[in-house]
Amino acid sequence: MFIADIRKDFYEVVANQRVVLLVAPDIDALCACKILQALFHCDQIQYTLVPVTGWQDLGTAFLEHKEQFRYFVLINCGANVDLLEMLQPDDDSIFFICDTHRPVDVVNVYNDTQIKLLIKQDDDLSVPSYDDIFRDEDEEGEDSGNESDEGSEPSGKRRRFDEGAVERRIERQRAKREWEARRREILFDYEQYEYHGTSAAMMFFELAWVLTKDTKDMLWWAIIGLTDQWVHDKITNMKYVTDIATMQRHVSRHNHRNEDEENSLSIDCMRISFEYDLRLTLYQHWSLYESIYNSCYTSCSFKLWTLNGQKKLQEFLADMGLPLKQVRQKFNSMDMSIKENLRDVIEESSNKYGMKDIRIQTFGVHFGFKNRFLASDMVHATAALLESAEKDDSETDNFIKALDALSRSNIDRLHSGIALAKKKLIAIQQTVASCICTNLILSQGPFLYCYLMEGTPDVKLFSKPMALTLLCKYLLKAFVHSTRNKRCKLLPLVMAAPKDVEKGTVIVVGIPPESETSDKKNFFGRAFEKAAESTSSRTLHDHFDTSIIELKTEDRSKFLDALITLLS
Amino acid sequence: MDASEVEFLAEKEMVKIIPNFSLDKVFLIGGDLGPFNPGLPIDVPVWLALNLKQRQKCRIIPPEWMDVEKLEEMRDLERKEDMFTPVPSPYYMELTKLLLNHASDNIPKADEIRTLVKDIWDTRIAKLRLSADSFISQQEAYAKLDNLTLMEINTIRAFLLDTLNCMYKLRSNLQ
Repeated sequence: MFIADIRKDFYEVVANQRVVLLVAPDIDALCACKILQALFHCDQIQYTLVPVTGWQDLGTAFLEHKEQFRYFVLINCGANVDLLEMLQPDDDSIFFICDTHRPVDVVNVYNDTQIKLLIKQDDDLSVPSYDDIFRDEDEEGEDSGNESDEGSEPSGKRRRFDEGAVERRIERQRAKREWEARRREILFDYEQYEYHGTSAAMMFFELAWVLTKDTKDMLWWAIIGLTDQWVHDKITNMKYVTDIATMQRHVSRHNHRNEDEENSLSIDCMRISFEYDLRLTLYQHWSLYESIYNSCYTSCSFKLWTLNGQKKLQEFLADMGLPLKQVRQKFNSMDMSIKENLRDVIEESSNKYGMKDIRIQTFGVHFGFKNRFLASDMVHATAALLESAEKDDSETDNFIKALDALSRSNIDRLHSGIALAKKKLIAIQQTVASCICTNLILSQGPFLYCYLMEGTPDVKLFSKPMALTLLCKYLLKAFVHSTRNKRCKLLPLVMAAPKDVEKGTVIVVGIPPESETSDKKNFFGRAFEKAAESTSSRTLHDHFDTSIIELKTEDRSKFLDALITLLS
Repeated sequence: MDASEVEFLAEKEMVKIIPNFSLDKVFLIGGDLGPFNPGLPIDVPVWLALNLKQRQKCRIIPPEWMDVEKLEEMRDLERKEDMFTPVPSPYYMELTKLLLNHASDNIPKADEIRTLVKDIWDTRIAKLRLSADSFISQQEAYAKLDNLTLMEINTIRAFLLDTLNCMYKLRSNLQ
């Protein structure tokens, strides 16, 4: 059921208890976890933090902790599946779920005792009403009761009553069949598309605000959570802009509170500011040229995998009057005179080259003399740390490292994250370029398909779901810009990359078609399930995002054929 | 004595806070604290003030001596005099560090205060080194340690005593 008052029904319930935090591996969940940890530290609430990477992990973690803990808080996992059936908990376990995955499973919505959803009820949900899906079982008993009663009537009247009873029974059965057919249809429509709701970090920041314990650190984490949803293309543009406006109100409230006229704050205090900044990834920590070369938006608009595109880029830089020597050196070392009006100059020139949205609304943070970061920088750095493909790091280690990088006291870790993110972006750019140039993307009819061979450079990076999804999106965007086939521009993309060479598995990701006004609804979750069933391929639907699965390499072709027949 | 032990002793000093919660009087071995009422200033030891601040339950008010003009005067006085001048507080260095690290958003002009306190500290340590040097070279029998704080004494104690011991051994060997 949905929680009405998050302070009374959630925080005060767990205030004197020990809780288990089960956290999914994405940046929004990490930020939400940080905010909740800070709140728990303030009020000295004991908790156990368990990172979980998939449904199996969730089950094991639950079994380990169910003896000692009654309260479980699930962050960005658990809403889109019937949790009680999956975990089989005892009657006194209570689950608080704060998840951005939609649609929320109907059992989770209508369960009154054990499942509490920390989601706003009007958050884009359109849950079917109770009567459409659940039907009381009493009516069955009445039917048979009536029949047996009527059966004991004296035989004279029996035949007449029998006919009436038989007719009523047929009528009831027909109504029941109709109701069930409609129920199946409603559930199918409801669960067909997968999409995302409001960021979990923002939900917990609101909790902190209601408790008046919100600090600038928590506000910054909430902003990072929101930006993660935008960077990884989980929410629509409209929603992003609306949420930015909400965050902007909080930012101005905090800035107002602290800056007096003459008593200025120490330079070490955190200052968050609203920026209408460029869409060039990591440009303040890289050189301007590299950033333009490796950002998805500019790379696709210029078509930098072609020679023509690179010439256009040189023209663009010349048009702005930026000397190549300046543009290729570290951003911090560029001439001040160039840096001053950089954003306006770039915006003007990019309008001429057809890039109308080079600037995006976002936030930046500034503390100490050296440290300035944009929210998207933090997202890329933390994502790179979370999915770093080092051999000797377990997933829990990566999780803890990424979590640490979000604190202000671990700037070194953040910088190492930024270095990893740069490598990842370069790898993505090169893979995209090679895929387009060698025509690796094939149209299979209802969707586009691309398979990364094992020998591709940096293919280990793409065995992780977030990195592969990012590559997928860039690739689709680049393809749309490079192809002339009008029909292909509207197709979704399915991508497969080797995950584990010894076990012989591939990871498969499906994303919706690329369009300006896309509502980011993804139907591949259900499609993958059905295709796997019909061909009995050996698949593992372990990720919290149902559109990401693992598959045995040998079953790849029959799985694909099934998918093609299913979707055409 | 370790520098951290001196800091620990410094945390017993009282500082004014404004709590945002209410609590009845608390009876501790070292003394009574409270009652706490939201919005009303109260004196508490620094260790409690820092703990409450980190849990966002109070606002710390800087001590009276932690003010830019007063510290500037003290610094200028220190630079003029040869002897050690009276200090703002017997634990001024530790308190500055603790309060500015944890509660710099409640202290106006925190950066300037940090610089001024560091200036005062540097001047006093320089004087201390000079006087220790002259103490040894002119073989004086006693030294006056007026207005020195525990932290400053602590920085020089181990080295000075060891040096004196070594010199004694050398002298007694000569004879």
